[in-house]
Order: sequence, then C-alpha cells, then structure tokens
Amino acid sequence: MAPRTVEVAPRTIEYDRMRRTSALVVFSLLLVLAPRVPAGSATDSAKLAPLGKYTEAERRHWSFLPRRNPVVPAFTQAADQAWTKNPVDAFVLARMRKETLGHAPRADRRTLLRRVTFDLTGLPPTPAEIASFLNDQSPQAWEKVVERLLASPHYGEHWGKHWLDVVRFAETEGYEYDNFRPDAWRYRDYVIRAFNNDKPFDRFVQEQIAGDEIAPAEEETLIAAGFNRLGPVRRNAGNQLVASSRNEQLTEMTNIVGAGILGVTLGCARCHDHKFDGFRQSDYYRVQAFFAALQPNDLILAPEAEQKAWTAKATPLQVEVGKLQKEIAAATKAGMPTADLMAKLDEAQDRLPAPLPSLFTVKDDPANKAPIHLLPRGDYEHPGDRVGMRVPGVLLPPDAPELPDDLAKPREALAQWLTDPRNPLTARVMVNRIWANHFGRGIVATPNDFGRMGEQPVDPDLLDYLANRFVQEGWSVKQMQRLILLSNTYQQASLPGPAGMEKDPDARYLSRFPRQRLDAEQIRDAMIAVAGRLNEKQGGPGVMVPIEKDLAQAMYKPSQWVPAKDSAEFNRRSVYLLYKRNFELPFMQAFDAPDMAGSCPRRESSTHAPQALELLNGDLANGMAKALAARLAAEAGPDHRKQILLAYELVAGRAPRPAEMQMAMRFLSVDATAEGKAREQFALAMFNLNSFLYVN
Amino acid sequence: MAEHIRFTRNRREFLTDAFCGFGSIAAADLLLRSEARAATTNPLAPKPPHLQARAKAAVFLFMAGGPSHMETYDPKPLLNQLNGQKRPAAFGEAKYQFLNDASRLLGTKRTFQRYGKSGIEVSDLFPHTAQCVDDMAVIRSVHGDMVVHSAAQYQMFTGRILPGFPSIGSWLLYGLGSESESLPGYVVMPDPKGALEAGQPMYGNGFLPAVYQPTTFRPGDRPVLNLDLPKGVSREDRVKTLNLIKGLDKADMRPGDQELEARLNSYDLAFKMQTEAPEVFDLSKESAKTLEMYGIGEPKTDDYGRRLLLTRRLIEKGVRFVAPISGGGPGVLQWDAHDDIEENHLRMAAQTDKPVAGFLQDLKQRGLLDTTLVVWGGEFGRSPESQGSKGRDHHNLGFSMWMAGGGVKGGTVVGATDEIGLNAIKDPYHLRDVHTTILHQMGLNQDALSFLHQGRRERLTEVRGNVITQIV
Repeated sequence: MAPRTVEVAPRTIEYDRMRRTSALVVFSLLLVLAPRVPAGSATDSAKLAPLGKYTEAERRHWSFLPRRNPVVPAFTQAADQAWTKNPVDAFVLARMRKETLGHAPRADRRTLLRRVTFDLTGLPPTPAEIASFLNDQSPQAWEKVVERLLASPHYGEHWGKHWLDVVRFAETEGYEYDNFRPDAWRYRDYVIRAFNNDKPFDRFVQEQIAGDEIAPAEEETLIAAGFNRLGPVRRNAGNQLVASSRNEQLTEMTNIVGAGILGVTLGCARCHDHKFDGFRQSDYYRVQAFFAALQPNDLILAPEAEQKAWTAKATPLQVEVGKLQKEIAAATKAGMPTADLMAKLDEAQDRLPAPLPSLFTVKDDPANKAPIHLLPRGDYEHPGDRVGMRVPGVLLPPDAPELPDDLAKPREALAQWLTDPRNPLTARVMVNRIWANHFGRGIVATPNDFGRMGEQPVDPDLLDYLANRFVQEGWSVKQMQRLILLSNTYQQASLPGPAGMEKDPDARYLSRFPRQRLDAEQIRDAMIAVAGRLNEKQGGPGVMVPIEKDLAQAMYKPSQWVPAKDSAEFNRRSVYLLYKRNFELPFMQAFDAPDMAGSCPRRESSTHAPQALELLNGDLANGMAKALAARLAAEAGPDHRKQILLAYELVAGRAPRPAEMQMAMRFLSVDATAEGKAREQFALAMFNLNSFLYVN
Repeated sequence: MAEHIRFTRNRREFLTDAFCGFGSIAAADLLLRSEARAATTNPLAPKPPHLQARAKAAVFLFMAGGPSHMETYDPKPLLNQLNGQKRPAAFGEAKYQFLNDASRLLGTKRTFQRYGKSGIEVSDLFPHTAQCVDDMAVIRSVHGDMVVHSAAQYQMFTGRILPGFPSIGSWLLYGLGSESESLPGYVVMPDPKGALEAGQPMYGNGFLPAVYQPTTFRPGDRPVLNLDLPKGVSREDRVKTLNLIKGLDKADMRPGDQELEARLNSYDLAFKMQTEAPEVFDLSKESAKTLEMYGIGEPKTDDYGRRLLLTRRLIEKGVRFVAPISGGGPGVLQWDAHDDIEENHLRMAAQTDKPVAGFLQDLKQRGLLDTTLVVWGGEFGRSPESQGSKGRDHHNLGFSMWMAGGGVKGGTVVGATDEIGLNAIKDPYHLRDVHTTILHQMGLNQDALSFLHQGRRERLTEVRGNVITQIV
C-alpha cells in the first residue's frame, strides 16, 4: 500500500516574500547595532555598481527558498510502521516507494560494526570491540556503539578531515615557492577539536569567518580565523605582482564562502554574471568587500625573552637578506646579472632561524583597506564600478542596500548572516555533507553546488526536515549523526535484492546501504592499525615521512622535504601527515586523495592499475604486511587456522568463509623454511582484498 | 549531464552516457554491451574520437623556462640594428617580470639560415633539427597570459593560470583512453636536474578521476615507481600471491559485480605492466645507429637522447601522451636565460638539438610520424630588451612554437611578431589555439571534451580556441 500523501502548503510568492523580508530584518538590524569605525579614506571616483535585478525564476530556485516544514510520512502497514523507526526511515521509505522499491534487511552485526567504526573514526574495529558488540544482548547495544565512537578522539580526526577537504587545507602555499606554513597545523587541530567537542556548526562557521573580530583575545578563535588564509598563495621572484597576488587571495576568500559554506558556485561570478544562477558579478564583489580590510596576521606566541633571542639570531641574517635584495634590485636596474645574487639570497633565506611559533590568523586593518571594484573578466588591472558589502542579492528582497562602509566588524556581519537560522543554504548544505559522508552520496549529489547546474535533491523534504532539525538542535553535528546512525536506513545490508540493481543501481534511493571504498587515508591508517603499528599521538605540526630520493627530486626545492627524526612519527594517522600542495604522496594520489588546489566536496573512487602496484609492491604495503604477519604469528600462535581467523577478523572484521579458509590454508601450507615468507605474502594479500578495501 | 563524456563509474552510468552518445543505433546494441563491459572493467580502454583523428599519440617537447624566439625560429634583423637603444614607442608596451623603462634592446649573436625545400629560417642553435624543417610547422605568433613561470606553465599544460586543473595529457587519456594495457597512458619525463616552478600540479589530473593521472618517470632504466617486485619476492611468489588474492576476492563476490570485477582486472593490468613494461624501458637492444642518431653516448645529448628514444618506444606501444621536459631545477639549468642568453641557449640547445632531430627522423623512418603529433615550445619566449647586459627576461606577448607529424603540414610558417619580436601582430595564436589544434589533430572536439566540475562544464580550452587551420 502506498504511503499517505503529505500535504504541504503551496509555495506562493507572497509567502516567500514574507520570509525573505524577515531575512532582511536580521540584516538591517545588524547595521543598526554594529559599531562603526570612523570613515576612512575610501574616496573613490568610480561609480557604485547597480544593486542588481533578479528574476522571479532566479529567486525561486529551490535552494534559495526558505526551508519548508515537511510532515514526516506515516505508514499504515504494520511492517512499515515497525521499520520506520525514526523520521529518516519514514522519509527514505516513502521515497523508495515512489520508485516501487523496498528496503533491504538489516546488516549483520559484524558488518555494522565495521561500517560504523570506519565511518565515524576512519579506522577498523578491533577484535575486542567486535567481541564486545557481538556479546552485548541489550536492546541498546547499537546505541552504545554509536555513542562510544562519537566520543572517541579518533572521531574528530576522521570527521575533521572531511571538513579539511572542503576548505582545501594544506601546510604549504602552493605555486612555485610552495613555502611552508609552519603554523597552519593549529587550524587542522582546531577543526579536529571542534568536531570532537561537537562545537555547534553555526559557531564553527562564525569563528572561521570572523574569529578575530568576535573574540580577538582568544587563541582558539584566532586560529579558527586562519580559515581565511587557507587558499594557495602565489609568490614570485622579483615580485612585481603584489596587486595580482592580493586579488588572488581575495578571490580565494570569497570563493570558499560560496563553495564551502553556501554550497554555491559563487566563484563563477568573478569574471562575469553567473551563467546559470542568480549571482551577478556585482554580487561576487560585494561578498568580497566583506574581506577588503582583512590582512594576514602571524601572531607570535613565544615569550618576550625567546623573541629577543630569536631576534638576536635572525637580525644579522635579515640584514644580509636585505642587503642582497637591495643588490639584486640595483643589479637589475643597472643591467647586471643577478643569478648569483639570487642563489645567495636563497641560501641566506634558508639559513634564517625557523620562525617562532605563531598563530596563523588574520586581522582587520581598516586604514589600509583598498576599495573593492568589479573586475571585468577578473582583470585586476582594469577595475570597474565600485561596490560595498552585501550578501548575494538573489537571497535578499529587491533593492536591498549595501552595508555601510565603516562597519567595524564586517566579517562578523557576514558570519551572522551565513549562520542565521533563516539562511536557506547553510544548514541544508551542511546536513547534506554529513549525509554524504555517511552514505557516500548526498541527498544533493553535488555538495558544493546547490545551484541550477548542481543535482536536484533526491528528496527535498528529507533535506529540509534534517536541516530544520539541525538548526533546532543547536547546529549539533553529533545529534544529526545520532539521528542518521540510529535509523534502520543506515543499518540496512548492502547487498542488492533482485530488483535493487535494476531500479536502484547506485543506491541513490537507499534501498540498500551503498557499499563504499575506503578513502586513501582510511586505507593507509587501517593498514598501519591492523599491523599493530598505529601511533595514536594527536595534533602538532604536520609530519613528513621518508620518500624515495627520486621523488624528492621532483620538488622544486628538494631540501624542503625533511622526514621526521623519530621514526614512530611515520605511523601517525594520515590527517597528521604534512600536506604539501606541490607534492602529493604517491600512495595518497593513487587512491584519489584531492590535490587541495580547490575545495573538494567529495572523493572520487577510481580503480586503476597503479593502485594494485602500490598495494602489491609499495613500501608501505609491504612494510605493514611484514608487521601484520609478525602479529599473526605472535597473537595466534603457529596454528595456521587461527592465524587466518585473526587475519580476517583484523582486516575484514569478519570470519572467513569456508572457501576462503581453505584457500588460505593451502597457501600457508609450505615447508617450514618458507613459512615466514608465505605468511608475509598472505598478509600482503589481505591488504589487497576487496573485503579490506570496501565497507559493506 | 548526458552530453558530456565522463569517467564511467558503473554500468548504468555507462549505458546512459553511451546511449546518449550513440543515440538510436539499435543494431549496435550488442557491440555497446561488449564495450560497456570493456569500459567498466578498464576505464582506460580506448574510446572512439569525436572526429577523424590525424594523430594517435602526442609528444610535447617542453623547453622549460622559456626559450627565446629571437634566438631560435624568429629572426629579427632590426633588433640587431637597434641594439642598445630604447624600444621605439611605436612597438607598444610590454610587462615583464624584471625589466623596466630603463631596459635597452638586445640584438642577437645568432645567425639564421634557410633550410629544406621550404627555406624556413632556423638559427645556428639547431643545425640538426633544421634538417627536419620540411616536416615542421613553425608558429611564430604564439602568446599567453602570464609572464611568470608557474602560472605560465600551468597555462601551457592545463589551459589555466592556476593549479588544480587537468593537464592536456589527462584530458587526452580521458577523451581517448590508452592503446597500451601494459604501459601507463600518460607519461611525464622530467629533466633529472630537477622540478619546475609549477611543480607536480602542472602535470596533474586536477579534478578528473585519479585514473587519468600522469606517471612520472624517474631517471634510469627502472622509471616507474612500484613496478619492481619487493626484495626477496620472486615472480613465482608474486603469481601465487596474485592467485590467492583473486581466489579470495572471487569467493566473496556476487557474480556480475562490475565494480569489483574492475578491481580484479586492474590486478591483471598491473601484472601485465610489471612483466611487459621493463622490456620497453630497456634500450640495450637498439642498434648503434639508432643510439647515435639520438646522440646517446655523447655527454651533452645522452640524457635527452635516452628520454626521447624511450619516448619513441612508448609511442610504438600505444602510449597516448609523453612529455619529455628539457630543463629543470634552478633557472640557469632551464632555458631561463636571465643572465646570459648566449651561454644558456648554446648549452640548452646543444643538449636537445640532436636528440630532437634524431627523434623526428626515427619516427619518420618507422612510419610513426604520420600518427604522432610532436609539439615543441616553452611556457613563453624572451624579451627583446636585455636583462643585465646580455640576458633576456620572460616574454609572453609573442613567441615561437612548432609542431610536426600527426597531420600537420610540414614546411610551413604561420604568424609573425613585429620587427623586434615584441608583439604577435600577424595571425596571433593564443595558447588555447595551440591546445585546440592538438585536440583537433587527436580527433577531439574542444567542447565535447568536457567534465562537469562544481557546476561548470570544464574544458581544456576554457574560452573557445581556434584550430590553426594553416598548418593542418
């Protein structure tokens, strides 16, 4: 029987206007209350860009409209009522029924535990955890597992990484110098902490956009504001392109607000009006205007004595550098060769003492604020009309004015608007990211694009229901995850039923749990964990692992790659490995780790021969296979059967099937002299199995 | 979504793509089904081009750092007459990295001579390559947008001045697949002296799936990472382990599970690569005459010669795109002649001239030149003004590249810069036109070769380019 149809209020234009007006009220209120700075020197002869007109069709794009309050579908049949344990199930089952699909049976406990452990912590369950779950007969056994994992410090390491993908976090600047950002790791740790502590997402966004304005004396918020500096930065020899570089940084800051927070391709409007969505070029630069006063800020943390000692050491070298820079300038002017001087400069810069620990943050510098102009075709040398601060007009009532230029905390105003409960995008976009990371695919399959070129939501009602709940429950990510993980939807088996493959081939309607390949970090971390070598140390500067000499040679400055002195560091979790923009570790690259040039909304999952070569011949796989083999012998003793059982338990979280046991037994039955090698090869084979690389 | 080609992730997506691509040809259904299988088990399986392809493979002889057009393929007698003078205002403005208003024009010490039936002028830096000029189409009017290395290198390889976009090699693999199962389809051979300013991202797959990523060859006869068996593991051991992996995987697999079948297949490919590729990398069976042709054994030319000979061997086996890079590490070891154009270009040319000529002749005598597009050039040219007393700064407003083979009309010259080599004034071609032409010769249409990325249908050329029709 079909589910009861759900009546929703017709979406009238008047209704929408009303809702939008309330958004404006918030916005105007901010203006009245906000402290101002004295009017600066922002006299500018360029005329103000028009405020922009938006068609009704542009305004009525689904994701720009206020969220609705969908009624949770109800079911008449007892079986359906029993299965729809929570609202997630009700929406998902109703959607399935539209496709004449039914749900899959519940997955077995071992499968569930492996799934949720990788999902929440990025690591496999241990044999003890498996045993404990299998033996827990209480009706709350699953809830207990979910709570335990949400409370694990590894949770933030894995879910923080999802966010680090979105904000394209790396510890170098990219481009030719690809200089290190020695203090960027503090931001990475901030993100991990925020997820572990379930920092409300609205606060999380506010701190990142405007932490320095909101609480200028707090280390935590200052670190968070480093968000605005995460994009690549171009530095040039003989830098004549200061304006260009500044423009690129403003571009990075603006684009990430669009892609990362609002889930729209605002960046497309940098050079021209957006071709598909209602973003005018003026909207783009009006958002950019919120960042006009922002300057990078490296806030030194060290005590005064240490700073003095550093200065004493650095000053002579800085003098030398300064002298060389002058000489280069003079030589250039006089038409003399500069290569030798440049080499000396490079060398002198290398000798400068490592910078003192500092906060990688930003500050407002209204005195040096340059007015923001439209840049036709993105060309900073030919500025067009002037603009002031305003959020995209398509989300405001017609002719909504700009904010006054002298707002003291411009980014705080932006952050408030972004996280206003009535903002139609922010909550939808974040719950969709959460959903996508659990199910491998979002309700909107394009998490960074909720515009017309993005995919339509599979179920807009579900999305709005979740977004509403997210806001109501204080923007708590963990609460949202409890709702999802405790649903029957999440606990379905991944095997398609007979009709499932035809009608729901990619599991978009969730008529089964979508099988997912582990991502690059999960594969690496799981191999190390299973081998018993994981170094669980948390936080701190990014770790460099040893690489082949030839690979270091592929860096413009091979001397930049200095592996950690303590080899225990090599077995840290992948989120703590140094992410160098111009040099990706081959292992990570093979398994689709993003290049961090731009925001990565979802990982690809490709299959190709170099992955097999990594897992068969690579140093990491072979090193960890040796360690795993040793662990099997040590913990299971000489009995091959026990070794195989343990191997499957560790690597696949399950017992081997009889056929698997038989094959493995045959493989291990060799002369005593060859036994060690056979065990290592067996361990290596385990890392190559689909049962390891996929989560069911 | 439907009209753009993309990596096929599963059967349904493939069929959707395929049916939109091939429309109503119901009779081809069976064929499609078998292709569907091939495509899902090996995403690098060859794909039909959009247009009649003239070339099956492309080789980019990338002269990193920016060779001077005035010292190579674009003679400028007036420049010598104006040596030491300020640039006459009539030529217009240029923006350089280092030069300023005080800079003076610098004549060249190079001499030019006409070669071949076509009588194209080539400088004395390239006495060997000049012998092939009737196979070459010289474009004297290329221009790009950027005057600093990293951004210009990104633009040359990816069409964009920022990192994060797929390189031309990745685009070609994505559009055409690879003809070789035992070799990587897209190979970069960096100069062993070091990396370039733009680093790894210039060669990368950007937002295209990792299957289209480049394989960067290392120097020596074991160029591919992870192709060697680990120490103490014999081939026999490996076969046994592979059989175990397959057996265990199959025991846990639903029949017809295409994604997992693709994974199994990737192990076959990996094994094939491991056994067959080393033979291709082994240059020892080449004749002494061939080695001599490439300058192998002579100190100056040995390195680039070996890399170009290896390139030919890869092309023979169906590799789609190879980029042997000349120049790497510090600027003086690239074509980046800020200090001394004479010394730098004589040295860099001496390393590459004979190997390049040997490569073209070898391709020709083996009948491979017809189906192999060879492209030569740097990320920009160099300034007509001097930097210091005898160097030249970067210059992106007009410089030379050439193409040969792959359906390109040999013995032609197109475009021109002004009399001092400052601006491309006749038939100027932007880098995107060069890209469009390469795609065209490979049978690809710049619009059809697209990938939906964050709401934008991204293409190599971004803004539409034009095919350089005079040379094809």
